[in-house]
Amino acid sequence: MDLQSNTETEVLEEKVPLPKQPAMPLWTRKALLRSVFREDRFFLVLSVFIGIFSGLSVVCFRFAIDWARIYLLGTGAVLSTSRLLLAPSLAGLVIAFLVIHFFPATRGSGVNQTKAALYIYNGHIPFRTAIGKFITAALAIGSGHSLGPEDPSLQIGACLASVLGRKMRLSRDRMRLIAPVGAAAGLAAAFNAPISAVLFVIEEVIGRWTAGILGSVVLSAVSSVVVMRWFLGSESLFRIPAVELKRPSELLAYAILGVVGGLASVAFSSGIATLRPWCKSLPRWTQYFQPAIAGLLIGVIAVLGFPQVMGAGYEYMDQAMHGQFTWQFLAILAGLKIIATLLSFASGTPGGMFAPTLFIGAMLGAAVGGAQHVLLPHLTGSPGTYALVGMGVLFAGFLRAPMTSVFMVLEVSGNYSIIVPVIIANTFAYVIARGLQPIAIFDLLTRQDGLDLPSMEEQREEDVLHVEDAMQPVEDPVLDGEETVDQSLQKAARAKNHQLLVRLSPSGWSIVTRQELESMSSQGKGAANLGSLLPILQVPHLHPDYPLETALRYVDRWPLVPVVSRADFRQLEGVVSERNVLARYREFGEG
Amino acid sequence: MPETRYFNLRYYLRQQPVMLASLSVLLVIFFLFVTGLSQAYHAQRQALGTRWFNRGVADLNAQNFAAAVTEFRTALLYSRDDYQYQLNLAEALIGMKHTGEASAYLLNLWEREPEDGLVNLELARIAAQQKQTKEGVRYYHDAVYAAWSSDQEWKRRDARFELIELLLQIGDKAQAQAELIALSENVGDDPTQQERIGDLFLRAQDYDHALAAYRVSLRSDRHNEADLAGAGYAAFELGQYSPAEHYLEAAVAYDPKDTESAERLKMTNMVLHMDPFRRQISAEERSQTVIDAFTTAGQRLKACPVPKSASPLGGGSQDSLSEEWAAMKPKINETRLRGNPELVDSAMDLVFRIERQTNILCGPPTGPDMALLLIAKTQGF
Repeated sequence: MDLQSNTETEVLEEKVPLPKQPAMPLWTRKALLRSVFREDRFFLVLSVFIGIFSGLSVVCFRFAIDWARIYLLGTGAVLSTSRLLLAPSLAGLVIAFLVIHFFPATRGSGVNQTKAALYIYNGHIPFRTAIGKFITAALAIGSGHSLGPEDPSLQIGACLASVLGRKMRLSRDRMRLIAPVGAAAGLAAAFNAPISAVLFVIEEVIGRWTAGILGSVVLSAVSSVVVMRWFLGSESLFRIPAVELKRPSELLAYAILGVVGGLASVAFSSGIATLRPWCKSLPRWTQYFQPAIAGLLIGVIAVLGFPQVMGAGYEYMDQAMHGQFTWQFLAILAGLKIIATLLSFASGTPGGMFAPTLFIGAMLGAAVGGAQHVLLPHLTGSPGTYALVGMGVLFAGFLRAPMTSVFMVLEVSGNYSIIVPVIIANTFAYVIARGLQPIAIFDLLTRQDGLDLPSMEEQREEDVLHVEDAMQPVEDPVLDGEETVDQSLQKAARAKNHQLLVRLSPSGWSIVTRQELESMSSQGKGAANLGSLLPILQVPHLHPDYPLETALRYVDRWPLVPVVSRADFRQLEGVVSERNVLARYREFGEG
Repeated sequence: MPETRYFNLRYYLRQQPVMLASLSVLLVIFFLFVTGLSQAYHAQRQALGTRWFNRGVADLNAQNFAAAVTEFRTALLYSRDDYQYQLNLAEALIGMKHTGEASAYLLNLWEREPEDGLVNLELARIAAQQKQTKEGVRYYHDAVYAAWSSDQEWKRRDARFELIELLLQIGDKAQAQAELIALSENVGDDPTQQERIGDLFLRAQDYDHALAAYRVSLRSDRHNEADLAGAGYAAFELGQYSPAEHYLEAAVAYDPKDTESAERLKMTNMVLHMDPFRRQISAEERSQTVIDAFTTAGQRLKACPVPKSASPLGGGSQDSLSEEWAAMKPKINETRLRGNPELVDSAMDLVFRIERQTNILCGPPTGPDMALLLIAKTQGF
């Protein structure tokens, strides 16, 4: 009965007596059910369910964060000192206790856990992870820890998907893919941005575009966003300012923003690279107090006049976009948010890094825009546009998701005129961050946790070997199928190798050995056409641009595989053999 | 048998259609649960939003703008899209002179309700402040024809007054006149409004309508010195010197500190006394007036020496005017003028030409020369 061992067809056809006679003929009903419940179609249907469940869970998660904030920090915009200090500290103590004793898998953001489910645990994520993430992250963000709700939503979505997949007894291949489907749904609902969520999951979790998974990811993301908008409305996370690009020379200012964002990304990720292992290396008993101390320090920052660093901070991003802060204040906020997020994240407090990244980017962007506006008032536009671009810059530089960073800004702003500044700034940030900090943040966290998950960034930039890299020039004469056996034998006498390629008419290739030619000749077939005596099964051909792994399918069966031009299949570019392919792979592996 | 039934049940529960159906039921239950939570959540947020909004309104009314901004912001935390919260926050921000952010909120509101009078009016004010006159005029127009929640007529009228002010500031007098005419038809006999309209007509240089507006206003209060001064000014500019003298005399009598009206009255008196074509004067008096004017013009010609080639009017040159004046001088005496009305006309024609040309070449004159220039205008020269 298990789908992992039996096909669904077997399940449906099992010989168990049915209690009632069906209204329609049995074979018709079975065929219909078989058609609907073919696993690939069923997976699509299930994706919608996953999307809806994830959307509902994320809505509840948002409610929980807001309620935690109201009851822990108060209802006003101006908060009391005692609450600012006590709420994150005490919440930190509770969170540490819960994480250590009940939900150890809820530490951190959740993106890597989802990747681990995909690559290590065959899509399995325990349900208690979702429960734990929900409670601890809501408590952390609501009490003012500098973390965001997006990555936890992603993990909650992935976890729900995993549970549903297990209950539905999906095959192992489908189970592996189900976590990213739920992750996309969770992220889309948290971000209210389905395109960005789909792109992020493809770019950072799955790592490749495959038709089999894309439809499910899109369906689940859209379903969850619909549910989220049903309950929380369709407005974006912040009011979008009027986007303006004053003149083409302003692109230079965006390039400067890209450079600054790239450096800030490096500082941020270097901070995590240093502080997180240090916190983990401290004695175990300190882990009970690390989130509380982080919370207390964040509270101190808030009491000193910067309460904006607490929580996700979307309302302050909104204000930065509308020019409410001076550029100096914005720059300070960006710096303090990096510190606050480092404290929260390195202490193992569950919560996401998306919102802090966007916050830092928005503040930095608005600060750079504001400073440039003061220095060159006629060159630069409103700081709001810079804040929007700045969000994408940090996304590209820190999270190293260049495609998602561009589309996220487009999706959030709803304005395509911003695309050129975004691409320019993001490219600068990405190149600088990658140059100065070769390991992307998610890979860094993976390695710190002792896991070996594939690096999507490395995969993206990995060199791919092609057939042309292993191809050898043709040294021996190429025989023609129209020639006689005797003529071919004469040509073969000049060959170094035993196997010779035969060009067939009108197209196609075959192989013949010298011995076979001699045998044909001795049997009195010397005057016959060579092509007519060769076996019907032809040798497959390759093209030079094929990936080298394609050649592996043929080289064990055929001693020589012809590599032909795409323009003329009879024109031989070279040949590959098993030895050539393996030698090329060996050279590549040795660097 | 019970065991078989149990296995049958297990079999069915493991079938995907059955599981999907169960999942659907679970989904409906979860959805209803979240709906309940959502209602509680939104109700709480609405209550919190209202509480902070009411505090903000109290502070806004007390012109405590900084506190009002914080409170409206807090209210918006709980209901980010609330129209009234945003509108009040925008007003508080305007009070704090944070026009950039205020206009961001107002534009957002305008997109939602482009026919809201207050939003259009505030956007118009911000645009006018930022010298974006085109946008300002557009928003004012929208405010004039927009819907207002209360006192619609008054608010539309006030918006139109502000629009006219802006049009006058940017020098679009024709458009300002058109708006003023439309406005004057709506205000009735309200003396305060008519006085304001009269002032604006004066600034738009529409003296006819200005005089009419002041006269309507004076019907209610004949002693209003501002109306009298305005009416005197309008009549003066229209060349109606007798009524101008009447109004200006009254204005100066009621407000002796009104030096502008006093100066204008002086000029009016001069015009009236230096005009040889006025009615009901004796021949002797007319001759003397012509002689005085001729002498004044001669002095002006001497004071405003002009190169020989200069001929701004395209007609005779400065020298020819001097020659004409010199040639005519012997004829200008009381005896000849009294018996020869044509000589009066010729003499005054020369006087007016001298005053007009010297006005162009040497700038506007003062005193009697100015009076002669005004008389020339009245006489159609």
